[in-house]
Amino acid sequence: MLDTRKVRGGNGLAPIDAEIDTILDDVFNITKEATESFFNAYNANPDKRVLASWLETRTWREIDYVFLLNEQIRRYGLRFQRNHITLLAKQSFQEAEHYEELGKAVLSLGGIVPITVPKAAVSWSNWLWECMDRHYLAAIAAWYVSETSASGSFEPTFKGAEVQGHMDVVRIYKQIEIDEKFHTGLGRQVLSTYAETDEDRDEILRAMKGMRDIAWKSFTPEVVAATMRAA
Amino acid sequence: MNPRPDNIFQSFSDQLSLKVEAVEVEAEGVLSLVLTDGFGGALPAWEPGAHIDLILSPDMTRQYSLCGDPAERDRWRIGVLLAPDSRGGSQFVHTRLHAGDIVQVVGPRNNFRLVEAEHHLFIAGGIGITPILPMIREVAAKGGRWTLLYGGRTENSMAFVKEIQELSGGDVHLVPQDKYGLLDLKRFLAAHKPGQVVYCCGPSPLIDAVEALCAGWPSGSLHQERFAPRARQEVGEDGEFEVELASSGRTLSVPAGKSLLKVLEEAGCKISNSCRAGICGTCLVKVLDGVPEHNDDLLDDEQRESGTVILPCVSRSKTKTLILDL
Repeated sequence: MLDTRKVRGGNGLAPIDAEIDTILDDVFNITKEATESFFNAYNANPDKRVLASWLETRTWREIDYVFLLNEQIRRYGLRFQRNHITLLAKQSFQEAEHYEELGKAVLSLGGIVPITVPKAAVSWSNWLWECMDRHYLAAIAAWYVSETSASGSFEPTFKGAEVQGHMDVVRIYKQIEIDEKFHTGLGRQVLSTYAETDEDRDEILRAMKGMRDIAWKSFTPEVVAATMRAA
Repeated sequence: MNPRPDNIFQSFSDQLSLKVEAVEVEAEGVLSLVLTDGFGGALPAWEPGAHIDLILSPDMTRQYSLCGDPAERDRWRIGVLLAPDSRGGSQFVHTRLHAGDIVQVVGPRNNFRLVEAEHHLFIAGGIGITPILPMIREVAAKGGRWTLLYGGRTENSMAFVKEIQELSGGDVHLVPQDKYGLLDLKRFLAAHKPGQVVYCCGPSPLIDAVEALCAGWPSGSLHQERFAPRARQEVGEDGEFEVELASSGRTLSVPAGKSLLKVLEEAGCKISNSCRAGICGTCLVKVLDGVPEHNDDLLDDEQRESGTVILPCVSRSKTKTLILDL
């Protein structure tokens, strides 16, 4: 696999490249550990409702990305090159596909497909939308971290879901893994292309650090245990 | 914030409609064209080494390097040599384009990016100075060390000399052939110097000579851009080429305007992909023979130069046939 952090764009992130990569490494590892922790617990007591509950939050994120990306285009799209508008719209379409497919998986596990923000996703969702209001690159910076965070969940999910025979979940996550290479590459390219000033870079870092902090709070063994109990 | 198109001249395709703001004679047979949106708006950002496609007519598109200052966001500048063997492009620009005309442009794209180095050795032949000039400007502005070897037929044929001489910190060698003969490449390329990168642009014989002298140097130490394809590059005028699938020996034709990935999919090849725009890298395929034309945004310089991989969603072939590990 190629490293989408190296995607070609502009030099707008050059002064903060290293700091960004550290944030991305952090969230990848946080999510990986939390997902491993979840599947370790799940495999000890495989209750489908627990897995459905775990996936519901992720399912919401997919549809929230759809809303967010369309709003990003509506508010700020004409600042971007037209190919970037197309690619943001394409990402939005793929997120909608993920919502649909993950929704099917949740239903098959006996869960409920969320149509409002689940409690566990409130701070995450609020942060994305706050970023959208602050600066035209901030929401992209926040979802770039969030998408990278999600990529930390892939391997543990493939392993954990396969052990329990949830091959639909594996198949859906395999497609999400492919698409997220695109989404993270696009995020990096858009940010590096359009960030010009120190103020832009400050807003990008603020958005990314905020999302990392939410990941820190959301993906702890205690939160995983609470998910298991709540289901 | 108030979303406003940076360029109200943009149409709903990949093209920009730009105004020829000025046409200047830069040297014997060389014109520069300054392109703007006509209203002082910002054009898409670019970096040294970038080029644009100038669509001169429905069947005539030509690539020209941007040779102005990337900091001047409201304008692009290109330099165009009236080529004696012109296939119509440079002749069109020289005889039919005038200040005030509107031209269709696609880009910018950059396949010739400037990398950081302790010392840059720039080698330009003739109109090959155009992508090199913004590179020198950037290196000079950062206080970097640079050397320029610039050759031309005659002194009068060498464009942008005054601008080059105004740039600081460099070691400039201007070599009009009628006075001094060909560039003394052996002197400057006798051995690889750690920390030095070479950038070369110009006619094929110059690039062939530079490549020969740099053969065996570490990957990434030579960056070159050809205005004309290699002699063995027999790809069709319109970009059509053939692709051979190594496992079956099956040959497929890739017509102009259709992606290699699409052709492979239609032939039944299952290739992971997502963006179809050269960003995600998931459609990576191994190349066994032929020379890929890389149009993606993801492969690094070493991967590009190796010619052993391709992203078929956007990239094509410089040779008549490309053999893929499929």
